[in-house]
Amino acid sequence: MLIKILFTVLISFVAYSQDIQEKVNMSLQNCFVKDIQIDFEKLQIKNELKNSIEKKAGQKFFSNEVYLYKIFIGKKLIGYGLLDNVYGKSLPITFLVMYDNTGKILCSEIIKYREPYGGAIQSKEWNDQFKGKNMESDFVVGKDVSGISGATISVNSVTKGIKKLTLLLNEIISK
Amino acid sequence: MKHFILFSILLILTQSIYSQDYNFFEPKATIAGYGELHYNNEKIGDAPSKAIWDFHRFVLFFGYSWSEKWSFKSEVELEHNFVKNGQGELELEQAYINYHHSDLFGFNVGIILPSIGLINEYHEPPLFFGTERPVYHNLIIPTTWFGSGASVYGNINGFDYRLMLFETLNSDKFTFSQGIRGGRMKGYKTDASRFLYSARLDYLNIPGLKIGASFSFNNAKGDTTNVDVTITEFHAKYEANNLTAIFEFGNISYNSGELRASRGYYIDLGYNIASFFELNTKIIPFVRYSDINTAAETFSGGDNEKRYHFNEWMIGLNVKPIDNIVFKVDYSEQVRKLDDRKSKFINFGVGYMF
Repeated sequence: MLIKILFTVLISFVAYSQDIQEKVNMSLQNCFVKDIQIDFEKLQIKNELKNSIEKKAGQKFFSNEVYLYKIFIGKKLIGYGLLDNVYGKSLPITFLVMYDNTGKILCSEIIKYREPYGGAIQSKEWNDQFKGKNMESDFVVGKDVSGISGATISVNSVTKGIKKLTLLLNEIISK
Repeated sequence: MKHFILFSILLILTQSIYSQDYNFFEPKATIAGYGELHYNNEKIGDAPSKAIWDFHRFVLFFGYSWSEKWSFKSEVELEHNFVKNGQGELELEQAYINYHHSDLFGFNVGIILPSIGLINEYHEPPLFFGTERPVYHNLIIPTTWFGSGASVYGNINGFDYRLMLFETLNSDKFTFSQGIRGGRMKGYKTDASRFLYSARLDYLNIPGLKIGASFSFNNAKGDTTNVDVTITEFHAKYEANNLTAIFEFGNISYNSGELRASRGYYIDLGYNIASFFELNTKIIPFVRYSDINTAAETFSGGDNEKRYHFNEWMIGLNVKPIDNIVFKVDYSEQVRKLDDRKSKFINFGVGYMF
C-alpha cells in the first residue's frame, strides 16, 4: 500500500514538472496533425547571427540557445518548431512557434505564462494572428498584430520574440 | 521495496536532469517605472488663463520573484516633483505579495489597486490618450485609487475575473464636485471594521477587444456620516488595425446624505495615420467626448444637479516614436450645464514607461 502511495506521489511529481515538455509535444501534434516523428536539439546561436537578429527585432535573446524541433513524416522533413522565452514585466514567457518547411508560421502557442496580469495572451484567438506570417512580415503591434488591453508589455515582448524566431528559422532553412 | 527505491532514485535523478532542461525560471529582481511631464494651460470662464509646468508623476516599480508562483511587486510614486507642507505627494501605490497558482487562480494581498475601470490598474502614460488622464478617471473613477486589500483573480475561457476585499472609503469626504474622490484612504490607517467588496469580469478572446464591467459595494463610514455606496461601471476598448476606440460608463449611488448619484461616460476614437506612410512611429490623432456629472442626483435637487454637470470635447495627438515613449498635445473645451460657462484647456507633455 505504502509503495503504491509513494509511486503515485512520485509519478504525479514527475508529471507536474514535465508539463512544459508535455505541452510542447501536444502542441506539435496538434499543429502538424499527422503521425509525426520529432527530432529535438538544443540549438546554439552563433554570436554574429544572434546580434544581427537582435538588432532587427529590437529584443535580446533569452539565452544563447533555443530549442529546435524538426518534424518528419517518414523521412520527409515537413516543418519545424522553435521553443524560446521572452521576459514579460518580470517573469519569462515560454512560447513555441511552428513553421512549415518554407519558414511560414503554421501555429504559435504560449506554453507557459507566469505573470499575474496579461494572461489573455495565451488565447488561441490572439495566437492565430501569426498564422501565415513569415520573415517578410511586419510584426508590429497595432498594425498587423492586435494588442490586448492590459497585456501591453507581454504582447510587445512575445511579438518581438516570434519575429526573432522567424528570422532565425530562415537562417536554419537556408543553411 | 529495494527495486522500488532504486527505480525511484533513478527516476528522480533523470527527472532532475531532464526537468532542468525546461526550467527557464530563475529568481530575479525587476525594476521598471514611468513618468510624465506636463504643460497645463487653463482658462476657466472669464478668469484670466493660467499656465504651469508640472512633472506630474515619477514612479518606480520594484519587484522580486522568489519562484514561479510567489512574487512581490511594488510601486512608489512622487507626484508634482516636490513634497512639502501639503504640496506634492509621496505615495506607496502598490506593495503586495502575489501567489500565481495557475491561469485559473491566483491571489494578492497588500497595497493593491481596485480593478475598476480601464485605467486604474493600467495607467502608464503611453496607454491613454490626452496629456492628463481622462476627466472621467479623475471625477467618476478616482485614479490612481490604491489602498490595503486582497484579491483573487484568474482567467477561464477568455473570461478574466477579479474579486476583491478592499479598504473602506471615508464617507465624510464625499463631495458634489468630486464624488468619492476625497474618500480614498490611500492605505493610511483605514477603519478596519468594514470593507469595499468588488467584482470585475472582462472578456478578452476577441483580438484587440477588451469588454467588461465591475460592481462594487461599500458601507462607507466617516466620523459623522455612514453611506452605502454602490459603484457600477462598464468599459470597452478596441485596439487593432491602427484603430483605437474606447467607451466607459460609470454610476455611483449613495443611499443617504445630500449626494445621491455621480455619473459619467466618455468615448475616445483614434487612428494611427502613420500607417498610411509605412512609418514605424505611431502618430495618432484622436477625439474624445465626455459627459460628467458628479452630482447627477441630489437629495434637494435643483441647481446642484446642473452645477457639476459638464460636457467636454477634446482633440489631440499622441506621437509614439517607440511604444514606450509618448509625446502628447491636446485642446479641450468644457461647457457647464448650469450657465453654459465655457472653460478651455491646452495641454502638452511627454511620458515614458520601461
